[in-house]
Amino acid sequence: MKAVFIVYNQSLTGHIEDVLSNLRLRGFTRWTDISGTGSEKGMPHEGTHTWPELNNAHLVVTVDEKVTPLLEKLRNLNNTVEAQGLRAFVWNVENMV
Amino acid sequence: MSLYSTSVKKPVSTIMILIGVVIFGLYSYFQLPVDYFPKIDPPFISVFAYYTGANALDVEQNITRKLEDGFGSITNLKKITSKSKDNISVVTLEFEWGTNLDEATNEVRNAVGLAERNLPDEVEAPTIFKISTSMMPVIMFSVTSNESYEAIKDILDKKLIQPLNRIDGVGNIIQTGAPVRAVMVDVDPRRLDAYNLTVEQIAGVLAANNLSLPSGDLEMGKSDLPLRLQGEFESSDIINNIIVSNANEKTVYLRDIATVRDTLKDIKTYERANGGKNVRIMIQKQSDANTVTVAQKIKKKLEEIKKTLPPDVKVEILMDSSINTLNSINNLAETLIYALIFVVLVVLVFLGRGRATFIISLSIPISLIAGFIYMYLSGGTINIITLSSLSIAIGLVVDDSIVVLENITKKLERGGFARESAIFGTSEVSLAVVASTLTIVAVFLPLTMLGGITGILFRPLGWVVTITVATSVIVSMTLVPALSSKMLTAKTPDRKSFGGRIYWFSQNVLERMDGFYAKTLSWAVGHRWTVIVIAVVVFGSSLLLVKVIGSEFMPSSDNDRISGQVKLAQGTNLDETIITAMYLDSVFRTKYPEVEIVSSSAGSGDESSLAAIFSETGNYIINYTFKMKQRKDRKRDIFEIATEMRKDIEKLPEVEKFYVDPGSSRSSSAMGMGGGNNLEVKIYGNDFDETNVISERIADALKTIKGTSDILISRDREKTEMQLVLDNEKMTSFGLNTATVAMAIRNRINGLTATKYKEDGDEYDVIVRYDEKFRRSTEDIQNISIMTPQGKIIKLSEITQLKRFYSPPNIERENKVRVVTVSAALTGADVGTVKAEIEKQLPSMNIPSDVSIDFGGSAENMKDSFQSLFLLILLSLILVYIVMASQFESLTEPFIIMFSIPFAFTGVFLGLFVFHSTISVISLIGAVMLIGIVVKNGIILVDYTNLEADRGLSMKNAVITAGRSRLRPVLMTSLTMILAMIPMIVTRGSGSEMWRPMAIAIFFGLTVSTMVTLILIPTIYTIFGVGKIKRARKTQLKLQIKNG
Repeated sequence: MKAVFIVYNQSLTGHIEDVLSNLRLRGFTRWTDISGTGSEKGMPHEGTHTWPELNNAHLVVTVDEKVTPLLEKLRNLNNTVEAQGLRAFVWNVENMV
Repeated sequence: MSLYSTSVKKPVSTIMILIGVVIFGLYSYFQLPVDYFPKIDPPFISVFAYYTGANALDVEQNITRKLEDGFGSITNLKKITSKSKDNISVVTLEFEWGTNLDEATNEVRNAVGLAERNLPDEVEAPTIFKISTSMMPVIMFSVTSNESYEAIKDILDKKLIQPLNRIDGVGNIIQTGAPVRAVMVDVDPRRLDAYNLTVEQIAGVLAANNLSLPSGDLEMGKSDLPLRLQGEFESSDIINNIIVSNANEKTVYLRDIATVRDTLKDIKTYERANGGKNVRIMIQKQSDANTVTVAQKIKKKLEEIKKTLPPDVKVEILMDSSINTLNSINNLAETLIYALIFVVLVVLVFLGRGRATFIISLSIPISLIAGFIYMYLSGGTINIITLSSLSIAIGLVVDDSIVVLENITKKLERGGFARESAIFGTSEVSLAVVASTLTIVAVFLPLTMLGGITGILFRPLGWVVTITVATSVIVSMTLVPALSSKMLTAKTPDRKSFGGRIYWFSQNVLERMDGFYAKTLSWAVGHRWTVIVIAVVVFGSSLLLVKVIGSEFMPSSDNDRISGQVKLAQGTNLDETIITAMYLDSVFRTKYPEVEIVSSSAGSGDESSLAAIFSETGNYIINYTFKMKQRKDRKRDIFEIATEMRKDIEKLPEVEKFYVDPGSSRSSSAMGMGGGNNLEVKIYGNDFDETNVISERIADALKTIKGTSDILISRDREKTEMQLVLDNEKMTSFGLNTATVAMAIRNRINGLTATKYKEDGDEYDVIVRYDEKFRRSTEDIQNISIMTPQGKIIKLSEITQLKRFYSPPNIERENKVRVVTVSAALTGADVGTVKAEIEKQLPSMNIPSDVSIDFGGSAENMKDSFQSLFLLILLSLILVYIVMASQFESLTEPFIIMFSIPFAFTGVFLGLFVFHSTISVISLIGAVMLIGIVVKNGIILVDYTNLEADRGLSMKNAVITAGRSRLRPVLMTSLTMILAMIPMIVTRGSGSEMWRPMAIAIFFGLTVSTMVTLILIPTIYTIFGVGKIKRARKTQLKLQIKNG
């Protein structure tokens, strides 16, 4: 089992939901209206007057096979709308109940 | 959940709710009555008291002063003015605007009740009268006739007046100039004396012979019938054969001592329309009825009535107050449509996208319709003020939608999901949108708190703009995101399609403009002090224009009407006056093709009627009303024509004074409406001679000032009276008293109404008096016979002496001091200049210490309203500052933005100067609005510059980047407003004079201030901004040192 943490500009919410439902990824946890800044480029998303944009984040836990197609789709999306800001991080799930 | 995300997620509900608002708004629109101005209740109450037989001085002494003293303690009283004339005293109380007139009336009634005890016994109980605009006639007809002339009164009563009176909303109908049928018994005084008879006895006999009396019941068998004696004259011929005396066994018939004529009462008036004999009918509306509605109903009914009138009776509309209203409203509605087209075009050119333009344009009708809902709910009308407000609002309501839509588009172009882009795009700018709208509200809301007549006029403007702008915010946060999420696409248009070509062309042009601006800006930022010095010089020199631009209360407008008055020498008799009147009639008819109807009247119909108080009448006075062709059908305006007419009247040597009043503004200014353009100089002082001299001097001074005409001194020359001075001793020795002698003389000269002759349900007076040839000379008067209680006939010369006497015909007072008013109509000159000129000449006029001078007329109104407008400007400035300071959380930034305001005024002065317009209430209101409108540009610019600086750009870079990126929104919001004003400036036609100064003020003020904002504000920003950065660095340095 893998955990995929997707953090993205709020404007992409619809696209992300589409990706998840296309891959039939049912289980996830979502945070809305969170702030953050990229390490290299991209504008800060802070919800302030200066940096008005904000992020949402999905934490999707799924079987290993689905991770590659998921990342593939997210990469495609990111390539088309690079300025919006989209990152995904994958890590192992050690145990669960 | 926020408003915008709900509306994006529920687009159907959003659209349905707005459709609901639109339907309610359209319903309101069709229910709204049309009027020229908002409803105005003039705060005036008049008190009339009749004192028959007293001359002006007596009236002043015995009535006016006592009434005035009683009114001193009434609350909210602004001014007491009074007019004492022969027989009548009129005291007018002016209250503060907005006073509850019902309460005031009660107070006045109490005061009159108290004062009444001190009045002479012969004074009739004073009448209290509320003046209202509904007393101004809605429609005036002129009725001309040939064969039917003698019976015209009855014909009109039955066929015209009665049906018209039944119309809903019609108040009084006044008929003037109609001949009245009467049976005249002209007695020969010599024969009366011979038969030892008097006028009173004859009248008694006539009355006694014209009776119909119930004489009890007659019981006949089973029935009970009322018995009635019928002794009324069956025809007027019978009167001749009445036996008036049987003394000395000799029967004297009335025909032996008098001639009986069934004829028309002596007509003491002259009424003509286009030279033909004329009866004038004035129709007033009920106070809550709407002028236009009532006028339309009357005109519709009139068409039906015309068919029932005899063929020689022609009814023409002499004055129709609804026509001007309707024309003005239609004109203004047209400018509204053009403004709408302009605004949509601006949006299209700047955005280059059809769908975006459509979404933004939708916010216009919805917001404007909200204005109609307000008008309907507040019981208002569609009038030139509310319509001008909508014209102003058109340019403002798109701004919020533009800002929101622009941000949504930006998100979409960066690949956002439509729904999210709509929601978050709106959310990011929502605060800025609300704040910039608040600055507009900060200016328009205080308008609703204005006092006085300006308050009454501009309160609707304040509300309408506030409500439409507030609605536009709501639309921009609901409908705009909802539709954007469905309709907008991020695609750039195809270069080959029609829409695409427009898009790329406009984008190209705009791109180049952006580049040019960025270059200019970077130069300006580099030469800060040069820019600032130039700006100061421009503003300073614009202030010099103020001296050249004139000032007036309200622009006068061409309403197709001219009225005038010509006074001949006091005491000129009606026949002489008629000769002059007929001559002038023919001059006006032939010389001025623009005149449709000339209506003239002379003579005093009934001296003591209410109508006589409002319009000055007399045997030596000719009053004129001209109905002109519509403005579009004639070349000259009423002001030019009036100037020509003045020249015509001036040529006549017999004319003592006259005025020509284009626009008939005198009657409206009497009600505090201040219309027209005149200056009044008031001379207070109790000594007649002193004030007369000063008033002559001021009148002479006024005549030398260019651009003044119709210079009138309100106090007429002293008039000659023939006075009968009684020898009391002799009179009492004959057993007579003053009252019987006075009555006797009146009965013989003026006539005694003996009884009424009835025919077909109508009653006609039977009047007994001396035949005309026995009441023409002073000898005739002295020969009047009076019967003593002992039955002896004596001549008037035995107990009286006839003397010539001079008395002031009218005494005017203001706040309990006698006043003479010298008034001048202003033709070409403006109130401010003329006033200053007179003030300069006053010291050389040797004014005694007990005489004081003040200014009135539109000058007085101007002073009052300019004062409240300057206060308003101050209040708006403070409010705008408060809004901006809280938006920026800074005290300096609002200050920087407010530097654009002085240049708005520079633009206003420049515009007024170029268009030869004046500083008036209307143009000042435009200037007030500018305060809110121009800071909007500054807010957009400074806000974005702050943003760029916070994002880490250097001060200069931040200013230039922000300027370049905000140029289009600034230009777009300004251009929508500026171009929306063009139709109002260009349109000529009824009422356009009224709103043009406001449009000029906004157009030029906003143009100049926008240009200044774009260059000066960034420059000043860098000066303040550099200091800010230095301070921030210093504190950082200190912190570093502290932390080691």
